[in-house]
Amino acid sequence: MVEPGWYVSKRNEIDTWINDENRRKGLNRAVAAYTTAKESALSRLKSLEETRKEVRKIKENSMESLQELVKEAMENIEEVNGHAYLAKDTKEARRVFSTLVGEGKLVVKSKSLVSEEIDLNKLLEKLGNKVYETDLGEFIIQLRNEKPTHILNPSVHIPKEEVAKTFSKLLGREIEADIPTLVGIAREYLRDKFCNADVGITGANVIAANTGTMFIIENEGNARFVSNAPPMHICITGVEKVVPTLSDAFKVVQVLPPYATGVLMSAYVSMITSPSRTADIEKTLVYGAHGPKELHVVFLDNGRIEMLKDPIFREALYCLRCGGCMYECPVYRVIGGSFGHNYFGGIGIIWSAFTSGEETVAAAIDACTKCGRCLEVCPVDIDTPKMVEKLKERLIRKGYISPKHKAIRKSILEKGNPFGE
Amino acid sequence: MHSKLLYWKGCMSRLRTTKIANATEDLLRRMEIDYETLGDDEGCCGSVLLRTGQVEDAKRVAGRTVKMIRSKGYTEVVTSCPGCFRTMSEEYKKAFGYVPFRVRHISQLLYENREGLRVHLRPWKVKVTYHDPCHLGRHMGIYEEPRALISMVPGVELVEFKYNRKLAVCCGSGGGVHSAFPEIALAVAKAVVNDRPPGVEIIVTSCPFCNYNLKEAGSAEIIDLPEFLIRAWRD
Repeated sequence: MVEPGWYVSKRNEIDTWINDENRRKGLNRAVAAYTTAKESALSRLKSLEETRKEVRKIKENSMESLQELVKEAMENIEEVNGHAYLAKDTKEARRVFSTLVGEGKLVVKSKSLVSEEIDLNKLLEKLGNKVYETDLGEFIIQLRNEKPTHILNPSVHIPKEEVAKTFSKLLGREIEADIPTLVGIAREYLRDKFCNADVGITGANVIAANTGTMFIIENEGNARFVSNAPPMHICITGVEKVVPTLSDAFKVVQVLPPYATGVLMSAYVSMITSPSRTADIEKTLVYGAHGPKELHVVFLDNGRIEMLKDPIFREALYCLRCGGCMYECPVYRVIGGSFGHNYFGGIGIIWSAFTSGEETVAAAIDACTKCGRCLEVCPVDIDTPKMVEKLKERLIRKGYISPKHKAIRKSILEKGNPFGE
Repeated sequence: MHSKLLYWKGCMSRLRTTKIANATEDLLRRMEIDYETLGDDEGCCGSVLLRTGQVEDAKRVAGRTVKMIRSKGYTEVVTSCPGCFRTMSEEYKKAFGYVPFRVRHISQLLYENREGLRVHLRPWKVKVTYHDPCHLGRHMGIYEEPRALISMVPGVELVEFKYNRKLAVCCGSGGGVHSAFPEIALAVAKAVVNDRPPGVEIIVTSCPFCNYNLKEAGSAEIIDLPEFLIRAWRD
């Protein structure tokens, strides 16, 4: 049985995950910690059940007029001296960043999945900039030259012993595999990078169209530094993150943290509407006080509008990126970051197909059992199994079929059973 | 007209987990429930093709199956496999609008006839847990019938997985994963079996695919619902 190339590479990646004890150890610890914390948070937040349903409605409504909402958000950002860009694809987004950042700069970043989508770090480094990821997980990933394997905890597969090895190499001395020590090292190492950076790059969790305000939810405090210390702040976000009003955005902010990390509320929520400004001298407005002088917001389409126009796949745009379904997925628990492409788990299969091309998940989709557990745990009730089935159907029509499934088809049609008997 | 009951074994119980089909037939006979099978003529319900995205082929196969069952005059169908059950009762309706026979899962039929079963069960001191098959539980809402049947055995202690019913963890073989990536199916099965409640001697399930896959993980006894009830039968 000959396996096509797109199949072989994914199978190898999956086997690497299944056979890597370290990755499994890291993942198991994270799953246990997450599920315990989430159960506790959900039982304590009595109104959450109501709020998550409201958020589902907000997302449904937002999608009805998404393109107008994006336009409104962009106009409101421009009105207060920010700059807004609508990038149709990764090429356009990369062009905006090349122009804005230029070369020879010190760049600090907080975690952004969308920036992974456009392969931003490689681009900036190629232009001759020095880029530091400042989210601890991303920092570890960057030092190890790996790919993120969870949308919120990108280094979830790396146990503390491995992190200690990575940090020992970075500092040229032996570092103990003690988690508080490791966190302290990242803090010390990155501190001056924040203050000396020329550019800070963040994502956004939700954006209110009626004021153009972005919300950045985080626990480490690095996104605050990144968005505040450097003279230029660039935010890159997917167009689907826009909701009509500030009140709507606050609803999203209430739902994300408990589902994402099992906390009642994240340590920090930053709301940013314009570059920093003051009118303290003679009531004359000047941009660039203590925070950034420049604010740029890049709204990325890259397949999202295509999803929006598709009655079946539109629902994927409701995803808040809490990442909970991944920890709850029996398959993600064993194959982690190989279950998807740039986004992971069942919903990640859909997202990767639209933002990176269907072939990137043509093999990984066969790892989904369509068991439906992700639907049960989703705060906005996204029917991912249905979308996975539809995408699979589409891939089959385009000729992407695993050799094993092809043989099963032949056997069923000829012999009435899948076993060739 | 006499309504005839068809026991649809499904490909897995017919050719791989044959113990399940044998136990089911044995149990139906002992309970004096009249049934017939299609023997070697039984084809494919279409579930496997449907879940692997081969929708047009699934429809063709399903069309043939509907025609055959109708031509033999069956008005009632009972399945061992939740995949067959879901496909025949839900998907056929979507594909053909109307299905000329009623389809039930074996756990439903047994539950309906439970009083006739109860008198034959002997006391059996055993600690068991029940694994919810996805197609039966989450997708079709059948959670309580298998549990009620297990609990009918005097002396049985039924304990639950930490995550059960709606939140039950898939065995890892569904949706064509077992054939495409057997190593994933096995790793997930091991995780499920290892998470069984402490002291459990037997994991009862009600799906030949779960049965087959969980058995590969080893380390615990896995049996299907009718097999469990046959073992509890007073000789």
